[in-house]
Amino acid sequence: MSFTSLLAEYTTRPNVWDEMCAQGEIRDHYRVFFESLSQVSPAELVRKDELAKKLFMSQGVTFTVYSDGEGIEKIFPFDIIPRIITAAEWRHIEAGIKQRIKALNIFLKDIYHDQFIIKDGVIPAALIHSCSNFLREMVNVQVPFDIYTHISGIDLIRDSDGSFYVLEDNLRTPSGVSYMLENRSMTYRVFPGLVPSNHVQSVKDYPDLLLKNLLAISNRQNSQPTVVLLTPGIYNSAYYEHTTLARLMGVELVEGRDLVVDNAKVYMKTTAGLKQVDVIYRRVDDEFIDPLIFNPMSILGVSGLYYAYRQGNVAIVNAPGNGVADDKAVYPFVPDMIKYYLNEEPILKTVPTYAMENPEHLKHVFENIHKMVIKKTNESGGYGMLMGSSATDQQIAAYREEVEKHPRHFIAQPIISLSSVPCFINNSIQPRHVDLRPFALYGPQGIEIVPGGLTRVALREGSLVVNSSQGGGSKDTWILS
Amino acid sequence: MLSRVADAVFWMARYMERTDNILRALRTNYIASQDEIQHFNWKLWVDGLGANTKPSAQQYTYREALYELMLNRENDTSVLTYISRARENARSVQDYVTKEVWQCMNDYYHLIRDKRTEQLIMHGDPVTAFDDLLRESTLFYGTVDITMNRGEGYTFLNLGKYTERLLRALDILELKIKEMENHESEAVQWKFLLYALSGYEFHTKFYRNALSTENVIHQIFMNLQFPHSVLYCLLQVERYFKRLDVISLPENYKEMEFLLGRAISNLRYGSPEKSTTSTIKPFIDNTRTEIKALSQKLAILYFGYS
Repeated sequence: MSFTSLLAEYTTRPNVWDEMCAQGEIRDHYRVFFESLSQVSPAELVRKDELAKKLFMSQGVTFTVYSDGEGIEKIFPFDIIPRIITAAEWRHIEAGIKQRIKALNIFLKDIYHDQFIIKDGVIPAALIHSCSNFLREMVNVQVPFDIYTHISGIDLIRDSDGSFYVLEDNLRTPSGVSYMLENRSMTYRVFPGLVPSNHVQSVKDYPDLLLKNLLAISNRQNSQPTVVLLTPGIYNSAYYEHTTLARLMGVELVEGRDLVVDNAKVYMKTTAGLKQVDVIYRRVDDEFIDPLIFNPMSILGVSGLYYAYRQGNVAIVNAPGNGVADDKAVYPFVPDMIKYYLNEEPILKTVPTYAMENPEHLKHVFENIHKMVIKKTNESGGYGMLMGSSATDQQIAAYREEVEKHPRHFIAQPIISLSSVPCFINNSIQPRHVDLRPFALYGPQGIEIVPGGLTRVALREGSLVVNSSQGGGSKDTWILS
Repeated sequence: MLSRVADAVFWMARYMERTDNILRALRTNYIASQDEIQHFNWKLWVDGLGANTKPSAQQYTYREALYELMLNRENDTSVLTYISRARENARSVQDYVTKEVWQCMNDYYHLIRDKRTEQLIMHGDPVTAFDDLLRESTLFYGTVDITMNRGEGYTFLNLGKYTERLLRALDILELKIKEMENHESEAVQWKFLLYALSGYEFHTKFYRNALSTENVIHQIFMNLQFPHSVLYCLLQVERYFKRLDVISLPENYKEMEFLLGRAISNLRYGSPEKSTTSTIKPFIDNTRTEIKALSQKLAILYFGYS
């Protein structure tokens, strides 16, 4: 396929920032890649696409869907065309995320201790205390190095003018980083030679940086602290990621039943007896980590773990209670936090957000419902949302009833049409909407962000929902150097 | 290493070894049933290899038997179930087995669930299916050998492997003896038994005479050059177990060491003087009971995590 014919079929949508094309011209940073791509025949691209699927399957990069007691292996859809971001754009993103994480982390420390931000009237007390993710149990708990958000995945989107907006701060147990790593190793199988010839920055350092941070926060005077990764088990859809990270870091992958607390210390049960654990990177939600304190029905956690944590005998990553900072109703206050704590102007934009508690906002939102999206403050994964542009009047009326019952549980935002990038779909190159989730690591030596991230794609034409549970896929993300 | 992980590695190895042994036995049986043995008793094998509680059919054709023993998802003792379980175990210890080993098991799993495999077994040439599957199995052993470090994981893997191989040899021997009671010619049966255990060529070289019960029994129980013999496997179990000395709690180690030593002595010095099919049966039972007790003790002392 020639260069021009490839492009002829590529029709961008109006009012959408296309990352590859501007007025029918290829942007500079896509040029090198696209010239290589135009040398490849469509049949060859189909073969490459099949190769990628086969590789994911045989490497077991799959998640299992259980039905009728039998497991069906599924792969997360992967698009072979990488998404490319320039070094300048990345520097902007990096600075913006660092600033944001720094402020959010101070906010968590403040909100669980002195609450200056409430006393100074920047954030209303009612907002915090009505947040179901505010953990009273965390009040006045000293966490190692005052770090709460060791690992965060910030979701970014681009508006029609190309500027980056933060959509969500995932500060609890963000997942997807293994796909950032796997997608890269898929790209060099599918497009040999292109990663070096495009001068793409490596993402390989992620596990090493994470391990370095985990080791550093151990409280025990020991040259080799024991770090474990706590997983809910093989039935969790992110289990593949847990095993990958444990393997890459060389730490023990444990389940709740492998751990026991004795005298406020955490031990794991080994063939050689009990061995003390210093740091737990948990991929189990707050609610399930300790049945004595939180959900008493949970068998995923460890009885007494929270007590050991409060005593400082074990570090938990991320800190419990972070949900108060990534609550969607707290989100509109983040720019204020940045000004209040850091005395800086926010680098990244936030999406205008209407609290449904405010009757005026409620009225405004439902008057303009076709341009709005309403979300639950406490949910993620694209669940429980109402996209005003595509909902029927009935759906809107039913949703409104819900909102009016518990206004605190909902926020509304204007629909932002995400930027689009080229994807290989139905044997041709077509634009699809994407977001970007870089992963920030916060350790005693500061915040580090591996140059890359997870690009999620809404594979259905015109769709703006990128969540993997709702027909989303992913692609490799190239940050040029 | 974590007790749960040790347990999972041990059972992963047991399921893999079981699959390999059963595939080889079925392959041999299938070939025998197509050629030398006119009325092959498949029911005996379906009942003997299975732990099915529901009453089985009166008779099995070879396709029905192969379906039951290889592909039936409902059957707890089909090859498909074993491979799925081995993979489930491997999945839960992916940070312990190497990435290569995991990928190998994963390919194996996809192969047994492949439509083509099913087609070969149910309608085509089952030998091709056996060979394809056994190639994956062999790859697994090679991959373990080349990529896994010789730490605790490897030790538990080998404990599982040799324990299982030993029990399988006893089971297959017992089934063959049952077949003989149904008046099949002994020499033919012994030949297929040795084929199933990959020991026929070795037998002709080592014993240099026509197949006799005495020699076959000796090979299966005592021959240290034969990697499927009971004594060979038990000594391997002992060899790997001794590596646990450094990490074990002393009292646990002593208890296991005693049981193992006793089992080896009983095997060496307690076998019947004159081996016939009838004298050997109680000996098979005793050995099996002893090995199972040993395996249970290992589970209590090393895998106890609940």
